[in-house]
Amino acid sequence: MEEIEFKIAPESKIKKKPSYIKPWLGLKYLFKKPVTIKIPHEKTQIAKKYRGFHTLDWKKCVGCNFCGQICPARAIEMTWLEVDGKMEKRPHPKIDYGRCTFCQFCVDVCPTGALRFIESFILTSEWEEDTIQLFDWVPIHPEKFRKLQESYNDWRFPVEKIEFNKETKEVVYHLRDGEVFKFKILGYGIRPPKKQKGGTDSKPD
Amino acid sequence: MVAQSELIKEARENGMDLLPLDKDTYELFFGPQHMATENFSIILKMDGHRVVEAIANPGFLHRGFEKLAEFRPWHTNVALLLRVCVPESDVPETIYSMAVDEIIGWEVPERAQWIRTTVLEMARVSSYLFWIMGLSFKLGVYTAGQWAAAYRERLMALFEQLTGARVYHIYTIPGGVRRDIPSDRWLHQLKDTVEYIKSKLPDFDHLVFENYITFKRMEGIGVMNKKFALSEGVTGPNLRATGVPYDVRRADPYLLYPELDFEVPVLNEGDALARALIRRFELEQDLYILEQLLDMGPPSGPYQVSDPRLKNLPRFKVPAGDAFSHVESTKGDFGAYVVSDGKNKPYRVQIRGPSIAHGIRVLEHLLVGSRIADVPVILMSLDNCPPDIDR
Ligand code: SF4
Ligand code: SF4
Repeated sequence: MEEIEFKIAPESKIKKKPSYIKPWLGLKYLFKKPVTIKIPHEKTQIAKKYRGFHTLDWKKCVGCNFCGQICPARAIEMTWLEVDGKMEKRPHPKIDYGRCTFCQFCVDVCPTGALRFIESFILTSEWEEDTIQLFDWVPIHPEKFRKLQESYNDWRFPVEKIEFNKETKEVVYHLRDGEVFKFKILGYGIRPPKKQKGGTDSKPD
Repeated sequence: MVAQSELIKEARENGMDLLPLDKDTYELFFGPQHMATENFSIILKMDGHRVVEAIANPGFLHRGFEKLAEFRPWHTNVALLLRVCVPESDVPETIYSMAVDEIIGWEVPERAQWIRTTVLEMARVSSYLFWIMGLSFKLGVYTAGQWAAAYRERLMALFEQLTGARVYHIYTIPGGVRRDIPSDRWLHQLKDTVEYIKSKLPDFDHLVFENYITFKRMEGIGVMNKKFALSEGVTGPNLRATGVPYDVRRADPYLLYPELDFEVPVLNEGDALARALIRRFELEQDLYILEQLLDMGPPSGPYQVSDPRLKNLPRFKVPAGDAFSHVESTKGDFGAYVVSDGKNKPYRVQIRGPSIAHGIRVLEHLLVGSRIADVPVILMSLDNCPPDIDR
């Protein structure tokens, strides 16, 4: 193997002034406040317009699917819902946080201002069946979300548990303050779902 | 004992290639778990503690950005392409937006230009601080690294207020920026932060850049000469450390840079130390540029072009054409070539990243003959960005 030459820094280039005081100057850092904060005993400051979870005003949403078309991560699926036995006239976006990049382009394009965002951002899961459901939801009303955020002030997800019944397609949101919110998923896509009980000619997809 | 030829045959059948076995050398897999390599791996052929041959082994972060960009509406590509360079995600955003602006022929408002320049410089400062963190960890000066991380945090908080996110800002879009400056308070905070970081530079000098140990460890290793650097297409601080004063901000000025006053530091040694010092000098220049920008103040006016077509973003169409735009990032010359065929999605987006020039062949060349302990230092002095290599 050929010899490899190494350059070593000449002594003249190196500043080597021995000092007996300088090492002690480091002591001044003992009297400074640490930059780290003790979570959860201290709180982080979150910017007012931090791009966090979505909120949706179900009354305002016209189901135009702009949000679904712009989404770069394809996290939005339009969903037909039924609340209290009444079908919503238009589909609403269902957002999958497993895919979402929190870019909020969907919020920018929403023509009616139904889809908004809030600064809450902590979504934790124990990776169990019922906590995983939290990652895929139709957002709740902004005022409700704001109220929950203000009362807890810890930037957590407002829903503790989402129950999804695979047979009846019923979804139950258990909000953090104990409120229960129920609706039923009728179908997916931009077209309204076919009535299943109506005619005999309806074919399953 | 299995014969060597049989081993090689078996490896080939399973889609692997073994280096020919040699009695005196051994193979060392350096990364991707190794902290110094950051999702990048090098296969080293070692003789004792000297590197005989180095083979870069990238690809752990491959996501196919350029192809994916062909399937997304124009504006949302920003949310994808910024992932090309994580520590300074504003650079890919800006080059893509500038190229699209050029195709459409949009005149970006002055306020947006000011904000874009400021964001780019903030990204440069935060990226250099991040690099100081990496370098000092590799040199074993952990204190300086933790300081750098703490100061960078201040910039991240400012980014959070301005853009709504800390790392992936998704802020610069074709036609301007997404949000206005939140308040005058933000400008004051930025000014304070710039002054604060500036006042802390001597601390870094004492600990890292004037340190006896740094000189001992970095001088004379990983030497790259001018001719080699130019033939490999190396840009940025790595090229300026070999004596070529090439800086995109000077050579092909964009945004507000023609109005700004700054120096382009150049050193002739071309070794790891020169590269580190260049970055240190540039950090100072960037803080100086930020000061000038703040003295200038943001011009009044809109922060986005007004165009009725922007009401319908998913179906927003860009006229057929192509454009190339590039900016100076902390890694080098970062460029994007965008082709449109008149649809609501790009026909082709090509990214010219700086890291591929100095992260594969140059790295392999520089590592030969170095000691194992110098491998992280050389790697860090080149400052490559693995997601940019893999793309
Ligand atoms: S949330 Fe907005 S963009 Fe999405 S379907 Fe409803 S109205 Fe349209
Ligand atoms: S924030 Fe972005 S990624 Fe998430 S649902 Fe909206 S458009 Fe899709």
